[in-house]
Amino acid sequence: MRVLLVLPLAIPLATGVVALLLRRFRGAQRAVSVLGAAGLLAATVAVLTQGQVEGIVAAQMGGWAAPYGITLAADALSAGLLVATALVLLATMVYAVFGMDAERERFGFYPLTFLLVLGVNGAFITGDLFNLYVWFEVLLIASFVLLVLGNERLQLDGAIKYVGINLISSVAFLVALGLFYGQTGTLNMADAAGKVQAAGLSGTPMEAALVSLFIVAFGIKAGIFPLFFWLPASYHTPPAPVAAVFAGLLTKVGLYAMVRVFPLVFGAPTGYTQVVLLVAAGLTMIAGVLGALVERDVQRLLAFLVVTAMGYVLMGLAFYTELGLTGTVFYMVQDVVVKGTLFLLAGLMQQATGARRLGQMGGLYLKRPFLALLFFTPFFSLAGFPPFPGFWGKLTLLQAGFQAGQGWLVAIALAVGLVTLLVVAQVFSVAFWRDGPAEKAETPAVPRATRWATTAPVAGLVALLLALGLWAQPLYDLSAQAAVGLMNPEAYIQAVLGS
Amino acid sequence: MLWAVLSIFALAAVAPVVVGVVHRLGGGGRAAGWILALLPAGLFAYFLRQAPAVAEGAIQQSMPWVPGLGVELAFYLDGLGLLFALLITGIGALIVAYAGGYLAGHDQLGRFYSQLLLFMGAMLGLVVADDLILFFVFFELTSLASYLLIGFYHGEEGSRVAARKALVVTGGGGLALLGGLLLLHQVTGTFQFSEMLAMVSSGGGHGESGNLVTSSPLYGWILALVCVGAFTKSAQFPFHFWLPAAMAGPTPVSAYLHSATMVKAGVFLLARLSPILGGTAAWAWTLVPVGAFTMVVSAWLGLRFRDLKQVLAYTTVMVLGLLVMLLGIGTPTAIEAMVTFTVVHALYKGALFMMAGNIDHEAGTRDVLELGGLRGKMPLTFAGGLLAALSMAGLPPFFGFIGKEVVYEAGLGAGASGYGVLAASVLANVALFAGALVVGVKPFFGERRAALTMEPHEAPPSMWLGPVVLGAGGLVLGGMPELVDTRVLVPASDAIQASHHSFHLKLWHGFNAALGLSLATFALGGALYYRWRTLHASRPMKRFAAALAAGPGRVFERGLYRGVRGSYHVTRLMQSGKLGVYLVVILGFIALLVGGAFVGRLELVAWPDGMASPRYYEVTLAVAIVAAAAVAVRARSRFVAILALSVAGYSIAMVYLFFGAPDLAMTQFAVETLTLVLLVLVLANLPRFSFEKASWKHARDGVVAGGVGAVVTLLMWSGLGRGLDRSVSRYLSENAYDLAKGHNIVNVILVDYRALDTLGEITVLTMAALGVYALMRLPPLDGESDRPEPPGAPEEAGGPGAASDGQRGSKAQLPQAAGPNR
Amino acid sequence: MEAILAVVIGVLFAASFYLLLRRNLLRFIVGLIILSNAANLVIFTMGRLTREHPPIIPSDGHVPPTPYANPLPQALILTAIVISFGLLAFALVLVYRNFQTTDTLDTERIRSAEPPEPLEARFGEEAVREQRLPA
Repeated sequence: MRVLLVLPLAIPLATGVVALLLRRFRGAQRAVSVLGAAGLLAATVAVLTQGQVEGIVAAQMGGWAAPYGITLAADALSAGLLVATALVLLATMVYAVFGMDAERERFGFYPLTFLLVLGVNGAFITGDLFNLYVWFEVLLIASFVLLVLGNERLQLDGAIKYVGINLISSVAFLVALGLFYGQTGTLNMADAAGKVQAAGLSGTPMEAALVSLFIVAFGIKAGIFPLFFWLPASYHTPPAPVAAVFAGLLTKVGLYAMVRVFPLVFGAPTGYTQVVLLVAAGLTMIAGVLGALVERDVQRLLAFLVVTAMGYVLMGLAFYTELGLTGTVFYMVQDVVVKGTLFLLAGLMQQATGARRLGQMGGLYLKRPFLALLFFTPFFSLAGFPPFPGFWGKLTLLQAGFQAGQGWLVAIALAVGLVTLLVVAQVFSVAFWRDGPAEKAETPAVPRATRWATTAPVAGLVALLLALGLWAQPLYDLSAQAAVGLMNPEAYIQAVLGS
Repeated sequence: MLWAVLSIFALAAVAPVVVGVVHRLGGGGRAAGWILALLPAGLFAYFLRQAPAVAEGAIQQSMPWVPGLGVELAFYLDGLGLLFALLITGIGALIVAYAGGYLAGHDQLGRFYSQLLLFMGAMLGLVVADDLILFFVFFELTSLASYLLIGFYHGEEGSRVAARKALVVTGGGGLALLGGLLLLHQVTGTFQFSEMLAMVSSGGGHGESGNLVTSSPLYGWILALVCVGAFTKSAQFPFHFWLPAAMAGPTPVSAYLHSATMVKAGVFLLARLSPILGGTAAWAWTLVPVGAFTMVVSAWLGLRFRDLKQVLAYTTVMVLGLLVMLLGIGTPTAIEAMVTFTVVHALYKGALFMMAGNIDHEAGTRDVLELGGLRGKMPLTFAGGLLAALSMAGLPPFFGFIGKEVVYEAGLGAGASGYGVLAASVLANVALFAGALVVGVKPFFGERRAALTMEPHEAPPSMWLGPVVLGAGGLVLGGMPELVDTRVLVPASDAIQASHHSFHLKLWHGFNAALGLSLATFALGGALYYRWRTLHASRPMKRFAAALAAGPGRVFERGLYRGVRGSYHVTRLMQSGKLGVYLVVILGFIALLVGGAFVGRLELVAWPDGMASPRYYEVTLAVAIVAAAAVAVRARSRFVAILALSVAGYSIAMVYLFFGAPDLAMTQFAVETLTLVLLVLVLANLPRFSFEKASWKHARDGVVAGGVGAVVTLLMWSGLGRGLDRSVSRYLSENAYDLAKGHNIVNVILVDYRALDTLGEITVLTMAALGVYALMRLPPLDGESDRPEPPGAPEEAGGPGAASDGQRGSKAQLPQAAGPNR
Repeated sequence: MEAILAVVIGVLFAASFYLLLRRNLLRFIVGLIILSNAANLVIFTMGRLTREHPPIIPSDGHVPPTPYANPLPQALILTAIVISFGLLAFALVLVYRNFQTTDTLDTERIRSAEPPEPLEARFGEEAVREQRLPA
């Protein structure tokens, strides 16, 4: 059943192409998109279950054995992220069918989203460094176009910064690839693990420099300090479903790349890169939460909190222990869903009040009690409040921090959690509790059916998150399994290269 | 026990439905309170029946939850847990019924019950949890429920501010506690309290060297973090301020959460961990001073206020301080006093809060000076309130008297430090005595004031039942302490000390020092009450309150504001909105980070040997590229710049051609030409290069750019010095024909070996085309016309002249956006 | 020769980064084009240089005659060139489209998504004057 691993690429590609061809037929386009997303979810769940049965699933593209062709491989980490991605995609598609404007639908919202997911999934399962670059570019150009789709002034403005900075990341990746190939002669990650040793790179400044270049290339995408500026500059400009896909997936791809490449190819981090990662993790958390504290545009506030979450995820990688990586994987996977939920929720809040800024919202507690109910799980999960899923990720990371003897970073993480709590309380207080401004005449009345149809996918995600918080063991097991695999990559290498 | 907790959560989930149904049947939903109260009442009975078993030994239950983290759904019902479980369910049942009357007809009653029951479940879970992470989960849930309940009157800003204050203070404490619990786990290797207890008691108990935990180097941190968690939750100075503010919530909430149960979670935490963390000098010297100070200060602060709920809130803080202090002392008598006073306080304070709620509800004000003569109008409320107040005052034959006696005995038996403790206790109890009379006696006697806006009358049964039952409870237990002492209190005190100390409570202890102190307390307290009317508004009292009651809260709010203001400036600096600033930071970071890897190891970078020596035309080409780049940088004219760009591009194509890459050269030529055409097309519609004035920024950018260039060159030299393993490449080349049937190896790689890359490449191109199309064709959806006044340029904001000035780039040639020029 | 190309690439990087840091978006685009060319040259050079022998198998052979240029980096660069052309074309049109909307190429003035709001505008004048957080 090696063909199974091709489905996470084939389904979004096919759906994207079909949707592109059907773009003049709104109904058909929508139906294809929802079906495609559902199919992708089924396929990714199949990949996950097969991985649980067989271990790491690998497929050699075109029948060319590694390291000569391109290999696809999915371990627990990849499979978990694939499923989370498909979930967010499905929810977003259902939301978009009822909540997206016709112009954006006509100009390719659905095909672009699926091609974006093609890039994301490709990045999650490729075993080849240059192929990773290609998928990065696929998701990048898709995100560029999705970001400007609408040509609103703010969108163009945000896109300038987003495009400008992310193109630099692509070039950094290319340079890193060129240098890396020039030392090892290979592009296959599993093969490279041995070649780095063979080339005598381990522990040299060259290795540290290569890792640094990769940190820049992936770090810009991941939105870590001090490379994240593009993120709060742009994530608030597109409509909520687009932002939900962005926030759920894009930064995770950058961090996934770090988690995949660093342990596998370079082994344990040297002093220099570890210090860089630790400090970057701490500053990323702080920088994000400080921005969120003073931001009043809900979507932009959430964008800052995307940055903060990346700090947490990076923290576990920087510890480079099994527990730390478990925390990283757990946090990353649940954060895909949390961030997707949050941005869709922000969309619902905007829909209900006709406002983007907290000060102009208000009264949601009475006007939309169900929305108020949905608020708690994703937002308090963000603050690491139990029993929501973010708590378990944070707990694992904190424990790993103490074990690794990095108490100072644990202290920062706890303090950042407190500030996040304050931010969440502010949002709830102002947008939900406080009476809204006098009813604006031009607030468009949203039809009841639209209201419920857009709320339903969010409710589904929230229910899932709640279940994940109350019964964290399955995801924890998956994360632990992934972490063991990351720390001991022999199984991955064997699955890719064969015996 | 899991089912007990879960049943409450389940009830919380269906409470809105119950309320809705009852409401439809009529009666303003008052009956809903009675129905919902059945569950906590039933659980009270259930826990009561567990008492004999618990006295024999703790009941334990456990099932896996997150085994990977060592976290279990483990429960542990010992004497301490049972005592609190009884308070939570017993008082809880009364409060649930009470709230049905208090909030009858309120349109958010259903939500209120959900939140109240959520709290009840969390609180019950907290006191019976064995696993400390489970404990923490419930601990935080109580904070969350408290946040929602304090903010119940969410239309008022005061409520929202108070709710936020409570959430941030207790939530912050919770995070500190989490740190402490994780460190505790570091030391003991377990999250189960029962296992820690076994570890500690088998490891030699409280010897000179201390136990496993107290002798650990991390003990100081653990103690500090746990104490921050407990002190914030239990409103110890200087974190006390959130509790009086929390009185903004409805009275049932104040009675239940902020007096009888939640605020005792911190005390419970300390009691729970005292066998593990206690018995050290650090423990005593942390808890006793903080507790004593809190006790004295808040007891006196209570006399400053005229609002019944404020007085009650401060006396609650006082009792919390007392309990913390007694835990700090840690002698058997002190623990005896602590468990006794916990019950004493829960009974009288619950009753008094409900009484205050009744008065507020039926008389329309809580201002003591406006109230008077209510005893005839509200006889049952009066009866309950008076009984409770007398217990609070510590008068015989009430349970409060016994409680106070034991406290004094604990002080007397505390050795040398006991005098300080004793003095503080008396000082606090004098004020408490006066406060009790102010709250529970004054509103009912004296003149009826005319200022009342409504005609006071007795509250409905659901509302007088609570005060009467709890007030009477204080009297009954005062007369018959044997009902609870060996059954409930002794097991609780044993659990705190992890050893058995039997005691019997008695109303009459004979003529001893404690009785003398009690009499002195009554005399001084009576005098204080007599002078209260002038005292509460006196100048020293005002200053005292300004400094210690309002002060810390104001410092907190100011601190928050300052913090936010600081964040605003930091963020504005960081996220300035200027692409140039972002790029300087990012590019500078790249140079530093990558270059930093070589710091101190620069000898590793050298001109690589073993390369083919250059030919003259290659050098010419290199010079041409460098020159073109220089021109592109210096060019004032944009056409010169793109011309230079093309020269560089074509020269690079030549490099490809010379070094065996004809396909690459062809592609580079084609792409370079296309780029040139595109640039010329676009440029025709764009303004000239603006002239940038020379400034320090040029130098800065030059340094960054030069740094990056140098780093790249050095990196490449360093990398070129090593050999290249061409085995992969060789395999691809040598099998290109045999296996893939192609002569051009590069083509074979693209379409066969690495076809997936090419698929991605095509996708990218397709989407780029789609993007260009959407950019040019899709009308702006924000309805903005092209070329509005530029933002942040006020001088151009008015006047049609600005608009015509903005037309200098003609719109011809490129496909136009179809957007209407509104 | 590789070493000399490394120097050339260093200069290209320096030139492009300097251009990226200019306030004019067109200069920024020029910088990006130079940058992607430089990155391709890095891959090419690091794959080592072989003069005048393209990696092509003669029509009567099964393997290319040695020496031959390393084909793998060439294939990578071909992919990269096309991809970066797509991205750059998009970026260029974006800059143009943004100019149509905002009438500026100055990055310091492209801030409508991140307006420099004073604190009062965010929290309300009253809250700032009274030094408290709005709730």
